[in-house]
Amino acid sequence: MSPRLEGRGISVRFGGLLALDRVDLEVADGAILGLIGPNGAGKTTCFGVLSGLVRPQSGQVLMDGHDVTGASPQRRARAGLARTFQRLEVFSGLTVREHLVVAYRSRGRNVATRIALDCLGAGRRPFSGEDEAIETILDRLGLTKLAAAPAGALPLGTGRLVELGRALATRPRVLLLDEPSSGLDADETAALTELLRSLQAELDLSLVLVEHNVDMVLGLAHRVTVLDFGQVIADGTPAEVRASEAVQTAYLGAAP
Amino acid sequence: MTTYLVTGLVVGSVYAIATLGIVLTYSSTRVFNFAQGAIAFALAITFYELTVDHGWNPRWAAAVTVLVVSPLLGLVLWAILFRRLADAPSSVRLVSTIGLWVALPPLTGLIFGRDERFAAPSAVFDPPHQYEVMGVGVDSNDVAVIVVAAVAALLLTVLLRATPFGLSVRATVDAPSMAATVGVNTSIVSAGSWMISTTLAGLAGVLLGTQRGFTLPQFTLLILGCFAAVVIARMHSLPLAFAGSLGLGVVQELSKSVVVGDFLDQFFERQSVWIRGLPQIIPFTVMLIFLLAYRGLGQERFSTDTRRADDAPTVEDLDGPPLAWWRRLLPVAVVVVCVLAAPLVLSGLWEGIAAKGLALAIVFLSYTLVAGSGGMLSLCQISFAGIAAAITADLATNHGVAIVVAIPIAALVVVPIGLLAAIPSLRVGDLYLALATLALAVLVDNTYFELPSVNNFDQGVDVPRPEGFGDDLPFYYLLVACFLVVALLVRNVRRSTTGLELDAMRSSEQAVATIGVGIVRSKLVVFGLSAFVAGVGGALFATYSGRASPEQYSVLLGVVWLAVVVTWGVRSIVGALLAGLSFAVFPQLASEHLTGAWLELPTVLFGLGAIGLAREPRGVVHQIVHGRRTQERARRQRARLRATPSPVPAGVEGGGA
Ligand SMILES: Nc1ncnc2c1ncn2[C@@H]1O[C@H](COP(=O)(O)OP(=O)(O)OP(=O)(O)O)[C@@H](O)[C@H]1O
Ligand SMILES: [Mg+2]
Repeated sequence: MSPRLEGRGISVRFGGLLALDRVDLEVADGAILGLIGPNGAGKTTCFGVLSGLVRPQSGQVLMDGHDVTGASPQRRARAGLARTFQRLEVFSGLTVREHLVVAYRSRGRNVATRIALDCLGAGRRPFSGEDEAIETILDRLGLTKLAAAPAGALPLGTGRLVELGRALATRPRVLLLDEPSSGLDADETAALTELLRSLQAELDLSLVLVEHNVDMVLGLAHRVTVLDFGQVIADGTPAEVRASEAVQTAYLGAAP
Repeated sequence: MTTYLVTGLVVGSVYAIATLGIVLTYSSTRVFNFAQGAIAFALAITFYELTVDHGWNPRWAAAVTVLVVSPLLGLVLWAILFRRLADAPSSVRLVSTIGLWVALPPLTGLIFGRDERFAAPSAVFDPPHQYEVMGVGVDSNDVAVIVVAAVAALLLTVLLRATPFGLSVRATVDAPSMAATVGVNTSIVSAGSWMISTTLAGLAGVLLGTQRGFTLPQFTLLILGCFAAVVIARMHSLPLAFAGSLGLGVVQELSKSVVVGDFLDQFFERQSVWIRGLPQIIPFTVMLIFLLAYRGLGQERFSTDTRRADDAPTVEDLDGPPLAWWRRLLPVAVVVVCVLAAPLVLSGLWEGIAAKGLALAIVFLSYTLVAGSGGMLSLCQISFAGIAAAITADLATNHGVAIVVAIPIAALVVVPIGLLAAIPSLRVGDLYLALATLALAVLVDNTYFELPSVNNFDQGVDVPRPEGFGDDLPFYYLLVACFLVVALLVRNVRRSTTGLELDAMRSSEQAVATIGVGIVRSKLVVFGLSAFVAGVGGALFATYSGRASPEQYSVLLGVVWLAVVVTWGVRSIVGALLAGLSFAVFPQLASEHLTGAWLELPTVLFGLGAIGLAREPRGVVHQIVHGRRTQERARRQRARLRATPSPVPAGVEGGGA
């Protein structure tokens, strides 16, 4: 069976800089993949390619074995791909709850019905099952009390949770998280780790995790891919990666 | 043929000079200067007055205008406006130079008078020498213009490549906040770029004036050429801007040549508007071609301002704590009561003026949709209004269709025309949409509105009022009803899923894309709806006036409309209403109490209002409703929220403790 998400030989060039150099990676069903590497290694760029925001110069992206390299971010989202951003991308004019509503409704009605409903004033009535789904997510993330707060005014850590909630509301099968623990303290990070572990199991998610917190990744992930200067320098189980010499010198050596 | 090549190069050179200025300021400050043509106009008039009225030697006058007055004007404008725009929300950055565009020409009129300016002093050679090059007569002034443009481009290149100032500018273009931290003085960079840019505008203005005359339409055509060149340059490439301008000038002039004329004669009648409007058709076509080409190259799919990544988050959308219901409803209630009761106290004349204001307010609601909700700056809403008005008139007067049926039909016809401009430009970015819609509006102005059947010798075509609403009083209440219905529609759309998606898009298009919401689709929906609303409003306006005459729907007037709406508040329905009323009332007051150039005072005020957005982006209505104290409280609440720690996810709280 083909993996849920797969990148084959992805290369991205920004001017003279080769940000990604023939990167391969693979996310199996219900697995957690850690993607680590020093600053500027190309992790965020890699997420950009996987989610369709960055066009690779060469290489392929496949979802469930189908080639989606040329597909728009929207099509990939509808196929079950969701992500969060390293640099927060919350909608500052919307409340926390509205973030989830927009995401939940993105697989909605066709345009004509929508225009008609919008004009007649029926456009904001909840979809069936919407309210329960959103309450559940808010509850899981501890955002229920902040549901009506405008998201633009929230602190960084809460903003990350809002992005996570927004991603979950699209009912994804693959979830890409870009440094979810940055801006959180040690307790919050521990809580987040537990949350991700349980969410992954419950929702049968495939998770890809970009993290600078190496202990968190090695503890959580089933497999780890290590990038350095745009190249994959190691790929294996957390134990193998921890033992790998290339990783030691390039990365872990600096932060034991 | 070669003659046209030469004149084309001359025109193109003037475009090039002005375009270089636009590109320079856009890349160094991210402010797109819609007012470049207006600045060029103001400076050209300065030159004219110095020579013709004060008898200065033209060369002296040109030197003083270009080298002294122009940079000074740039410095002043920078100090009062452009400086503030650096951290303004991107919507304000777009709109406030439009305010300048609106305010400058009438201000020029106030300062120098509004005389007809016929005499054409020549800044360079008077009388010109005549040469013969390859069998074509070339005028030394033509040569001078081309040489001046080339020298200006060369100097600019040297300045950017080989001076410390240039280095600072290039650093700022690449990474503004980074440049600031390594000690580049961003104020000097932006003030310097604006001064250079206005100098280029002054140069272009003087050259264009001496070559083509000192009339406003010349300068409108100038900016249209510049904007097309800017699109070719994808907003930032100076060489492409230069080459594009020259190319555009040549193509525009060649289109007047005999060969092309003969070719087109096979399809159109000579003297038909399609041939006469060719110079205006070309910029729009060029823009469309390049937009499609760039889109095809797959570039700039997410051309949201790259600068945004460096900016501090804008607070545009952060309203204060929700107001008590009565504070929200009170202003609305006051306005509704006033509008309903107005006929009781107004005289016959003012009843008509108020009705006119209401009709305009309906058109203005289309801005509330397209710009307020959609965040798109459309400059052709007035064309939608005008086209719908003309179609309504044609249907009602020439085909006997009942007016209540004709209006919706006409408004529906307008929608696909709007989508023609929106579809190719939306994908590459909002600024491109503004330029493409402007080009479309100029195109409509010079072709469709010039058709004999539409224009009817500047008389327009009659539009009857609906049966039973012939008098001003019942018609007034009919318009009130129409306004309420359209306002309800706007409110519904804003509260719908589409409205929510659009609100989200204003913060982050990337994030919206990755949750699967079609950006272009949602924007097209509101764009189409706004075209429909503009059409309805335009047709009602014509019904009020009794005829649909195209001169009431000209591009430049549309730009003023936009300025009025944003001044009152583009997100507010009440704002649209007040904008409509003030657009009808102020000019009437002016015509009763003022004379001469002062008649244009309302336009100046509207323009200044839009410029003032740099201080208060949400407009006057928001300020009235929320007031200063509430804003202060909101700011404090935000600070408090930021300081509180993020909540711990609930699922884990128990286990961890
Ligand atoms: N849009 C862009 N234009 C030019 N260069 C870019 C762009 N985006 C990223 N880069 C460069 O590509 C390289 C990889 O960047 P990327 O953000 O993917 O790294 P990263 O692994 O996510 O780093 P970090 O750990 O700091 O988040 C960096 O050198 C970065 O400067
Ligand atoms: Mg990163």
